[in-house]
Amino acid sequence: MDALLLRSLQSYVIDTFGLESWKRICNATDAKVETFEPMLRYDPGTADRIAQVAADVLGRSVDAVWEDVGTYLVTNPEREGVRRLLRFGGTCYADFLHSLEELPGRARLAMPHLDLPEVTLDETGPDRFELRCQSHLAGLQRVLVGLLTAMADDYGALCLIAPGTDARTSITVLDSRHARGRRFDLALPEG
Amino acid sequence: MHAGRPDHRIDLDSVALAHFMPMHLLMDGEGRALSYGPTLARVLGGDAMPGARFEELFDVRAPGGAVTVGDVLARAGNRFRLVPRNRVKAGLRGLGRRLPGGRILLNLSFGIDLISAVRDLALTDADFAATDLAMELLYLAEANAAVTRELRGLNLRLEGARVAAEEEAMTDPLTGLRNRRAVDLVLERLCAARAGFGLLHLDLDYFKAVNDTLGHAAGDFVLETVGRILREQLRSEDCAARIGGDEFVVIVAGRSDPKTLQAIADRIIARISQPMPFDGQIARVSASIGIARSSDMMVPDPTQLLAIADRALYAAKHAGRGRAVLLVSRGE
Repeated sequence: MDALLLRSLQSYVIDTFGLESWKRICNATDAKVETFEPMLRYDPGTADRIAQVAADVLGRSVDAVWEDVGTYLVTNPEREGVRRLLRFGGTCYADFLHSLEELPGRARLAMPHLDLPEVTLDETGPDRFELRCQSHLAGLQRVLVGLLTAMADDYGALCLIAPGTDARTSITVLDSRHARGRRFDLALPEG
Repeated sequence: MHAGRPDHRIDLDSVALAHFMPMHLLMDGEGRALSYGPTLARVLGGDAMPGARFEELFDVRAPGGAVTVGDVLARAGNRFRLVPRNRVKAGLRGLGRRLPGGRILLNLSFGIDLISAVRDLALTDADFAATDLAMELLYLAEANAAVTRELRGLNLRLEGARVAAEEEAMTDPLTGLRNRRAVDLVLERLCAARAGFGLLHLDLDYFKAVNDTLGHAAGDFVLETVGRILREQLRSEDCAARIGGDEFVVIVAGRSDPKTLQAIADRIIARISQPMPFDGQIARVSASIGIARSSDMMVPDPTQLLAIADRALYAAKHAGRGRAVLLVSRGE
């Protein structure tokens, strides 16, 4: 899991701030590498450590950095794959939220060694949800917040998303058809 | 425990049937269509007419030889494979059964052609029953493609790193020439191939004096200069290596003629013997070279060839340095 977040962080920094910024971040760490491989394994905690350095170098809070990474994963046109995989979750935002509980299982189908943390979603009231995702990765909650926010836009839903304590994030859907969502075709065009 | 009891009959209207089975086909006892599930209707397009006959709609792929729905149910038990007769590229799997009262109910699903069918017919998840695993299959296909893409990228990057590491492991960092490891590999390969080649073992003369009087930086400069000279004097198929402090090996591929090898060695010595200006001072060295030829041995052997070249080098040093000696081995 650290590997995926590290690679995401790397892509986000390079695409947003440029390669030089990423090199500065790597030089400021003891990582000794400038490329993180999503398919390799890194020591637990590496992602949080590098993100803290990135936050220092970029002059932002580490929470803001992770949230931006989450948004970047869904909105970056080069990474259409993540958004597509998430959109398979359902036809509306609420369906999508419920599908997050199945996400670790789905991910295991494609990558048996990927240890996605378990996700639970509670409906706490009409259009009110609470997402819980416990992980050794401190940054994961903020990545999820960024990702949930971007997916709300993708579905055209107007939401209030607030990270809380104990790895809980509350989501209030104010208007599920606030805007026209982005188009989603189940199958990619051939080729 | 009531599941098998025949008295639990349910009546489904066509709306409910379409909800549970969006790809069903209900037919009368003669195989004429009564109703189509909405997704199957999209697959069949204009063919999905009331009263259409089963065999006009579908080509039966399995069981072999079956044409009518009666054949299919009789021959296949309740499992079969069809393709629509229109141009839609979608293999359909199905199961079917004669209902009490004589009507026939078929329920179909996309087999492995799911993805192309979804693409060609622009299906959405509203076209599938919520229990259908179609979404999972589509999801898995894309997730798999993404993982494979990442792995391919990883492989390429690792291969690049491996080539760079191998190159580094074969290179002398100071001169950029090959190192001892590379020489051993090249010699082994050439000897195994019984290739004709010349082996030059080169040792600098007066190098210690340069180091002692002008310092190690000057010594390094001399070694770098010798590296450049060797690279300039050799062809790409040759191999020049630094195998020790001021010791070099040159493998001249495809050359066994004594005069040629001697000329190459003399040219190298002449170049190295020229004064090398360094930091306002002049470093002066020369070189002695021992030459051995693979063609002098019945069975070329790297260790013995190196030993012969080493003895030739010793002879060159002994004869007054700044010269090359070719030693022809006898009986080795």
